[in-house]
Amino acid sequence: MSTVLVVEDDEKTALEITAALSDNGCSVVRVDNGRAGLLEAASTSFDAIVLDRMLPGHMDGLGLLAALRAAQIETPVLILSALSAVDERVRGLKAGGDDYLTKPFETLELTARIDVLVRRRRTTAAETVLRVGDLEMNLLTHSVKRGGQTIDLLPREYALLEYLMRHSGQLVTRTMLFEEVWHYHYHEQTNVIDVHISKLRRKVDLPGSPQLIHTLRGSGYILNEPA
Amino acid sequence: MNLLDLARTTSFRLALTFLLLFSAASVGLFAFVHWETKDFLSDKTDEWVGREIASLQRLDAAQLMTRLKQSELDPGTTERPFALYDPSGRRLAGTPIDISPETLKLAVPSDFMATVNGKRRQFRGRVLARSGGNYLLVAQGLHEQGEFDERLFDATLLAALATAFLGLVGAIFLGAGSMRQIDNITRATERIVKGDLSQRLPVGKGSGDIDRLTHVVNGMLTEIERLMHEVKGVCDNIAHDMRTPLTRLLAGLERTRRRAEALTDYEEGIDDAIEEIRGILKTFSALLRISEVEDGIRRSGFVDTDLSVIAQDAVELFEPTAEERGIELRYVERLEGPATIAGDPDLLFEAVSNLIDNALKFTPAGGQIEVTVSRASTGLSISVDDTGPGIPEEEVEAVLRRFHRAERSRTTPGNGLGLSLVAAIARLHELDLVLGKTGTGCRVTMLHPASKPVRQT
Repeated sequence: MSTVLVVEDDEKTALEITAALSDNGCSVVRVDNGRAGLLEAASTSFDAIVLDRMLPGHMDGLGLLAALRAAQIETPVLILSALSAVDERVRGLKAGGDDYLTKPFETLELTARIDVLVRRRRTTAAETVLRVGDLEMNLLTHSVKRGGQTIDLLPREYALLEYLMRHSGQLVTRTMLFEEVWHYHYHEQTNVIDVHISKLRRKVDLPGSPQLIHTLRGSGYILNEPA
Repeated sequence: MNLLDLARTTSFRLALTFLLLFSAASVGLFAFVHWETKDFLSDKTDEWVGREIASLQRLDAAQLMTRLKQSELDPGTTERPFALYDPSGRRLAGTPIDISPETLKLAVPSDFMATVNGKRRQFRGRVLARSGGNYLLVAQGLHEQGEFDERLFDATLLAALATAFLGLVGAIFLGAGSMRQIDNITRATERIVKGDLSQRLPVGKGSGDIDRLTHVVNGMLTEIERLMHEVKGVCDNIAHDMRTPLTRLLAGLERTRRRAEALTDYEEGIDDAIEEIRGILKTFSALLRISEVEDGIRRSGFVDTDLSVIAQDAVELFEPTAEERGIELRYVERLEGPATIAGDPDLLFEAVSNLIDNALKFTPAGGQIEVTVSRASTGLSISVDDTGPGIPEEEVEAVLRRFHRAERSRTTPGNGLGLSLVAAIARLHELDLVLGKTGTGCRVTMLHPASKPVRQT
């Protein structure tokens, strides 16, 4: 079970975040100010930190983050902020944040991102081949095979599949895909991503073989090894 | 009409001021004419007296006596008296005119008083001392000059009265005119304040300053009315667009409550509700996003952004969707050199995506969509062409409004905020958003006039 530190001063938001993370199988410690957050993060080893950018008192979110990194505590940090402007996001990530989420957000978006951060930490070894079931991706030759049969993918399809495979077994939201694969940051409202996925699915999930790419209604996708 | 109000009007005061100034100038002019004339007449008199004295000096005593007798007999000479006096001032001969002894000392032409036929009159002249102790007086009456003065004064007074009268009438007329106009404007303004935004300030026939001002204010009122209508329209549309999904949500929840038996039924009901609420949130997010973009805060995050990269990425993003609908989506480039502008890449991408998404909605299967990045003499531009039905002339302005949806597209998904967002993003980047009809469909262009090539001189 992964442990997550939540630094958030707003009671209601904190309650929602804590509930969502608990339901997602995390154990959660919550504090409501920067100083307590720093003490907590320095004394206990967390798998991830959810950090509100605006905090009461002398230490705000970015200050806490800077102090953590200065103390060489490399716990992945997801910054929550009411500011969505690009430079705000860039500043947050530059200060040492690993991901950035603008309020208000869907709890699903938060838990999916925390899962990714926690997992990223556990698999740091450089891989050359990704495998999920009988699906195989060679990161050096950029070739993809399913059950030994080569699949031809366009560059963007390859990037999509790579992201899904790197996070197999995890929920990946449309926004995450859009940010990671297209590198643009906004909440894409149309169903273009779905169309891309269904095209990819037609190539990967051939008739007769078990389905790997699953759609979670209204939330995103998950690449699962067949049971 | 209140007299006090009249006195307060600018035109009345101006007219009165000019009247006073004009009067002062006139008085000055009359005084000048008066003095100049008087001077001229005195000079003439002096000249005549001088000539007369000179001719008298040439006469001997007998001749002089003859002349004196003549003037004694001629009653007309009282205007030009000519007489001889002894040192005590007693008249010996000549015009019957009595003078005081002081007058005998006037060796240069001067004004003096004398009695003729029992009347005191003013004269101008001089006295010549004769050998033998007698004095000879040559003078001219100033009666005519006095009469001229009187007439001049009368004329001046009359003219002044006439001017004052006409000026006052004019001032009242002008003041009343502007007061009437201002009263009208006040009444119209009061009606507008009460909420009747269709009212306009009354405009006179002239091109005076007040009229010019009313034209400007009327223009402003039209704009305010338009904005008010737009705000009202947006509110109505929000209410309308929200009511439908909220009603659906309510109905769904009520149905679940009524009919659900197993846990899965409840789950299904909740899932439906979540989906419905997501849609509602989407609309609100889109609205907030537009105002966020319009606030212009994001301008601080501008970086060099390559429009051709944005366009290619957007085309690539929508390619599968286009393919699915049987529409050909193409990227075209007409460039020499880079297509870089200062901008927010995320927003620009969002704008281009919105345009392509719109084009996809309106283009029938088998149609074509072209995304072009080009550099022309007018500057860099990025445009989206489709082979859909195009936007009718009269709707061009309306489509940029929030929640506007072409009548025929009421059934297609979307919240009618797409183009408003594009317009806001374009404004933020100082891009001109141009909507137009082409031979085969619709073209939306975002032109960057700032990137116009600099002329080499």
